[in-house]
Amino acid sequence: METMTSQYRWGMVVDLDRCTGCGACVVACQAENNVAICGKKEISEGRNMHWLRIERFWVGQYPDVRARFLPVLCQHCHDAPCEPVCPVYASYHNPDGLNGQVYNRCVGTRYCGNNCPYAVRVFNFYNHEWPNPLDNQLSPDMTVRTRGVMEKCTFCIQRIRRAKEDAKSENRTIRDGEIQPACAQTCPTDALVFGNMADPRSRVAILSRSPRRFRLLEHLGTHPSICYLKGGGREHV
Amino acid sequence: LIPPDEGITPGKGTYYASSCNACPAGCGILVRVSEGRAKKIEGNPEHPINRGKLCARGQAVVQELYHPDRVPHPLKRNGPRGSGAFTRISWQEGIGLLTDRLKALQREQSTNGLALLTPHLRGTLAELTGRFMRTFGSTNHVSYELLTPDLLRIAARRSFGQPTLPYYDIAETRYLLSFGADFVDSHLSPVKYGSAFGEMRQGRDTVRGHFTYVGGRMSLTAASADRWMPAKPGSEGTLALGIARLILAESLYDSGALAMNGLEAKKLLAALDRYDLPRVAQLSGLPQGAIAEVAREFASTRPALALAGEMVAFQSNGPESVRAVHLLNLLVGSLNRPGGIYPDAGSPSGPENSFAELIALIETMRGGHVKVAMIHGDPLYSVPPATGFHDALAKVPFIVSFSSLLDDTALHADLVLPDHAALESWGDVIPVAGTREPLVGLMQPVVEPLFDTRQFPEVLLATAHELGGRMAAALPDESYLELLKGAVRKQAGFGAGVDFEAAWVDLLQHGGLFKTKSVQPTGYRWSSDAPPPLPEDPDFAGDQKTYPFHLIAYPATAFYDGRGAPYPWLQQLPDPMTTVVWGSWVEINPETAAEHGIGFGDLVEVSSPQGTLRLPAVVYPGIRPDMVAIPLGQGHRGMGRYAQGQGVNPLALVARQGTKQQPAWNATRVRITRISGNGELVTAGHPQGSLRSELVEI
Repeated sequence: METMTSQYRWGMVVDLDRCTGCGACVVACQAENNVAICGKKEISEGRNMHWLRIERFWVGQYPDVRARFLPVLCQHCHDAPCEPVCPVYASYHNPDGLNGQVYNRCVGTRYCGNNCPYAVRVFNFYNHEWPNPLDNQLSPDMTVRTRGVMEKCTFCIQRIRRAKEDAKSENRTIRDGEIQPACAQTCPTDALVFGNMADPRSRVAILSRSPRRFRLLEHLGTHPSICYLKGGGREHV
Repeated sequence: LIPPDEGITPGKGTYYASSCNACPAGCGILVRVSEGRAKKIEGNPEHPINRGKLCARGQAVVQELYHPDRVPHPLKRNGPRGSGAFTRISWQEGIGLLTDRLKALQREQSTNGLALLTPHLRGTLAELTGRFMRTFGSTNHVSYELLTPDLLRIAARRSFGQPTLPYYDIAETRYLLSFGADFVDSHLSPVKYGSAFGEMRQGRDTVRGHFTYVGGRMSLTAASADRWMPAKPGSEGTLALGIARLILAESLYDSGALAMNGLEAKKLLAALDRYDLPRVAQLSGLPQGAIAEVAREFASTRPALALAGEMVAFQSNGPESVRAVHLLNLLVGSLNRPGGIYPDAGSPSGPENSFAELIALIETMRGGHVKVAMIHGDPLYSVPPATGFHDALAKVPFIVSFSSLLDDTALHADLVLPDHAALESWGDVIPVAGTREPLVGLMQPVVEPLFDTRQFPEVLLATAHELGGRMAAALPDESYLELLKGAVRKQAGFGAGVDFEAAWVDLLQHGGLFKTKSVQPTGYRWSSDAPPPLPEDPDFAGDQKTYPFHLIAYPATAFYDGRGAPYPWLQQLPDPMTTVVWGSWVEINPETAAEHGIGFGDLVEVSSPQGTLRLPAVVYPGIRPDMVAIPLGQGHRGMGRYAQGQGVNPLALVARQGTKQQPAWNATRVRITRISGNGELVTAGHPQGSLRSELVEI
């Protein structure tokens, strides 16, 4: 059993009925987190570095065909398969329920990526470059990872840290909606909602009690922090 | 210890409000600047268009600023045209070269020998360029954009007597019927309407809006629909009239709305007599049952809303088909009502015949009458070669480009006077559509200019100053900023008691003027002299026997009309429908692909009467078997290291039919042939998605 040592348990709700698959979140994540630019060759080897991807499924056949989108990012599992296999404790669980990654501990065994059922951990097989002056866009809040290091979605932990500092200096707790990861902030349709699952009145907690909820690969027992809401279809009208 | 520059706190970001000009939607942005460098672009929560949200393209604009291949200083050509051989010159020399040419035109009294080609400009920049050209004495000022909403304006003028684009109240509607309007990826104001779509679906407690999409290709927008109706290309207007006839015949219409617009149901029904269900079903290739079902759902769910987009407009019968769709809105009483359509207040008027003007300019250039062409934008990429633009431009002895990257046009220029990046520029950004309140977004420089570049309007002002005489008198402004402030002051209608400098700073901090004194357009009302919409049969270039497939060239989600291609984030962004990265592809129905022995990723040759392209195939379940589709935006000859040589430009295939002065980009037929098994297609995921769908229960 997990013990609650923090008043926050960060979680996210992804409403698939709102998601249109536009890809704004993917670029927002890349911009916020200094995610490397990967060329054609690298991606053809399956070595794309995106922390957030949108899976697209075709269901049915022409003309009764439909496409479904599923934004997949780190699920921040409470029983995370990636954590116990790391020999150097680079992959760890923080008190807020985040599944963290310490880049300067990582020795690149890739055991964690191998064990992740959601395939959301990406490994730096190459050193990536930002040719001058493109390097000016790199955010000073984030390190730039080098070759041989595993990296992943952090729920934009730098934003969480800043909000915690602000809240502490004002002697209060973080308000609902005060923190938004880059993906949720930009999502045009408001499909991504982030917040404190431990607060039953937070927007994210209310949404996570929807009858449309499900968790990704729930049967694996990983207890993800991300809750999906089923998309529509004719059956919902 | 090195003290930081003034105004900079290390580690602390400053947010500057500005406006996005990556597409005509004109969203408001906040740019995070840290240590004097722009780090990230976010939506401006106060801006009425996007309310804090932003699309992928808008966020990538920071890579325009820091693109490693930006033109850092003015350039003069020193090799053959198109070779890309340039020498560095100073601004003084660059403006001198331009004014020498212009003075020569003035001396020869052939001022009409100057042509200016720009994208659609609005606000102060439009005013400035207009004044420049008028005073110089040239009528050759053409504003051209590939995805221009001209045809939507023409349709509105014919039906409602005003060229106002529609504003869709998607958030409040209960039944959304889109005819080729891809409002979440490119149509008018994607962030605004994407956001409204989310509200329509899940923003209300007990109502979930229904969405039906009509169009032969399942676009990104169509993928979110509850029902997809793959109508034959060019038959959308006919289908709309078939639905209208059924609504009239079964008396499901809003009789009050009809009376208010001076229409009689009986007369209208008689006028639409030819659009009976069996004929419409045959022409559109859809089952009768489905059409009748949609018609009844649309008429009995209130409020209901019908949209017509570019996929319909860019057919040979485009404007009439768009009118047919608006007739549906009238029939169910959705004009000027919540959940329906209103006239848009963003840009109530705009160019309606820009393509005809472009064709006229091409004729003038071909006749050798244009001596100097000043070009902002990249028409050598975005004007289809079938118009003859490329050969005509080659006859112009002096071409000036204002591009900040060496794009296809700049590569052919004699003089390149590089513009600032958007994040270094002043400006006003007036949204093309997406609002019912007129507003002016402001652009401000968020960083010091990186290179020795100058903003396009500043170059115009400097040129006018150099020319002297009438030109200097007509354009006396010290700087574009002063001109802009004057315009905004007028728009805001500040009284004498207002401290304008303080008010200006306030406007900049908030991102623009969101309450203007401009008059809102009056509501849509069917013109008394407007005939019922009667789209003619669609007309396609290329005969059906040799060219059995319809070609659809659609704006790629990441690239719009090609403006997004130079940015690596967008090249790396998997196309939402195909997951393809860094390239082009042609979408083929699985049945058709099997018939032609084409597999996923095979190299295919696509030929039209106009041209031939080779590109990889994507077997695409969401497209009619008699159609193929290629995304727009790739295939640049220049545009920097990330865009150059990636993919192909489908505009090379687009043919013009007859002598019509209409941009019917989607009315070309093609044939396809398999070439080899290696198309070098790269997808970011498995073609079916990497998690199995039965496992994730979606």
